[in-house]
Amino acid sequence: MGQIEKKSIKDIYKLSSNIKFCKSCVISNQRPRILFDKDGVCSACRFAEHKRKGIDWNERQNELSLLCDQHRSKDGDYDVIVPGSGGKDSNYVAHFLKEKHNMHPLVVTWAPHIYTEIGKQNLTSFVDSGFDNILITPNGIIHRKLTKAAFIEMGDPFQPFIFGQYSAPFRVAIQYKIPLVFYGEDGEVEYGGAMENADRASLSYEDFISNRFSSVFPSSFEKYGIKKKDLEKYELSSNELSEIKKLKIEQHFFSYYRKWIPQENYYYSVENTGFEANPVRNEGTFSKYASLDDKLDGFHFYLAYIKFGHGRCQSDAAHEIRDGHITREEGVALVKKYDGEFPKKYYQEFLDYCSISEQEFNEIIDSWRGEHIWKYKNSKWILKHPVWLDK
Amino acid sequence: MKRIRLIARLDIKGENLIKGIHLEGLRVIGSPSEYARKYYTQGADELIFMDTVASLYGRNHLSEIIKLVAKYIFIPMTVGGGIRSLENAIDILRLGADKVAINTAAVARPNLISEISNSLGSQAMVLSVEAKKISDNKWEVYTENGRESSGIDVIEWLIEAENLGAGEVLLTSVDFEGTRKGFDLNLIKTATDSISIPIIASGGMGEFQHFHKVVSEANADAVAMADILHYDRMTFKKIREESISHGINVRKYV
Repeated sequence: MGQIEKKSIKDIYKLSSNIKFCKSCVISNQRPRILFDKDGVCSACRFAEHKRKGIDWNERQNELSLLCDQHRSKDGDYDVIVPGSGGKDSNYVAHFLKEKHNMHPLVVTWAPHIYTEIGKQNLTSFVDSGFDNILITPNGIIHRKLTKAAFIEMGDPFQPFIFGQYSAPFRVAIQYKIPLVFYGEDGEVEYGGAMENADRASLSYEDFISNRFSSVFPSSFEKYGIKKKDLEKYELSSNELSEIKKLKIEQHFFSYYRKWIPQENYYYSVENTGFEANPVRNEGTFSKYASLDDKLDGFHFYLAYIKFGHGRCQSDAAHEIRDGHITREEGVALVKKYDGEFPKKYYQEFLDYCSISEQEFNEIIDSWRGEHIWKYKNSKWILKHPVWLDK
Repeated sequence: MKRIRLIARLDIKGENLIKGIHLEGLRVIGSPSEYARKYYTQGADELIFMDTVASLYGRNHLSEIIKLVAKYIFIPMTVGGGIRSLENAIDILRLGADKVAINTAAVARPNLISEISNSLGSQAMVLSVEAKKISDNKWEVYTENGRESSGIDVIEWLIEAENLGAGEVLLTSVDFEGTRKGFDLNLIKTATDSISIPIIASGGMGEFQHFHKVVSEANADAVAMADILHYDRMTFKKIREESISHGINVRKYV
């Protein structure tokens, strides 16, 4: 491994050096693409308000019925692809479409880097509860190389998973000629983006993946010694893109049609699909029911903490405040207690998976450390502006 | 045959009565004082109030609720969540509670059990245990509302706590909690076989049969219920009637 180059987080993500926190939740203006209004409230909180007051959910339910009527197969062939992991959210989407709308979903799973036991068990329980599933598992060696490269290059070892999560289901849609692909929530409105996107049901494939891939595409990883042919598996080819147009394959967000409340998805999937929460809380946060199937995802959240100063707990607490499950005061206490906790449980496995030493790991981490977020004091890194000291 | 106590368990977060599954996904149910009054008038033998997130947030919010309900509730009340010292325990009893339930603080400092038991009497010292199954016949003690593992074996912990002076154990199965699938009978049975102080079985009651089994097969001394009451799946009246018709010794409430 060569010299690791220090990144300028502020420039890469176009962040303000003046760190501010939302008056309503605990998110800061360091979250890429989030917007704050004149009252100091973030766009995700405004969207949550819009969900409560501005949307006629009965009308949206009718739209969903109409959409399903257009697509429903008469002979029981698959008529909708649900990209799903066996987690609470996709279980809910697939089950709801199947049971409430008589659709015939094919659930496509893009495998985690390293399955956790509970993640595998949840996928099995889900399939056992009556679903057809295709599990796509990438080549282990290529995936490891790509993970290491993404860790160094993008500061996010989780990115190879994201590549597959947003390309594999469409590839299956093309192969099976299924023109409807249903994802869960629209992250760009649920977690902060422009309010002008608040009422969109779907996106073109190109727009859909552009921010999910953070504008870095798999093909750019050739320089890490990964063959072009192997990288092609992580993104759709131009042929496939034209197939999407020809077959009129549409991607829709379930969160447009039904009010998206992760906690209710948890209840729904426990009751209907045998879902179980993680036995212990996930490292870096208080929650036990979200993002629990990949041993690597703790590092995805940890890197966000390093870059932007907000980790997994801050984002969990922000959702829960918006959904009315906790108060802001509670959220702040949780962030102080858990945010940025190092994911030590799978640390060694992560190092082995990426074939890097502890020293290399630390160099990479420091190369992604937000320069305006951190200060070095008494031989350790501390946040310059934590939410609990915010006035 | 011993008399079985029927207990309503009220998990509280902030100002609200809440309920989760596996102690997660805490749903707001309503006002704790209203539900407490409802279960009292329905004929509960005891009430348990747990500030489920006290350790999580490092606080205790139950004082106001206890002060309020103590005015009109005349059955034993156990209060747990965030009690860290003998002083905390004394404060809670002064407000009108009869017993304190302690988990996280006792795991951190087992001598707290003796201190409370010696000063306030063992009847006031309820050890609350959140048990997570790790293999057949083996459970681990969890703290902070089922979020942190302690590495401590549940049965060994129960024996130690009994020796330290605990008067009673509230034994919650994290695996079965909120699932309505029935109690972890093996856990409760192993516990009642291992210690002689009373055990309150908690976590998983979805129907009367579950109650019947945990009492007759696992020898629970008392049963704590939440989900089944909060969602109006059964009332205390109904549970008593069924108990009597199955020959279980419960208080006859009129």
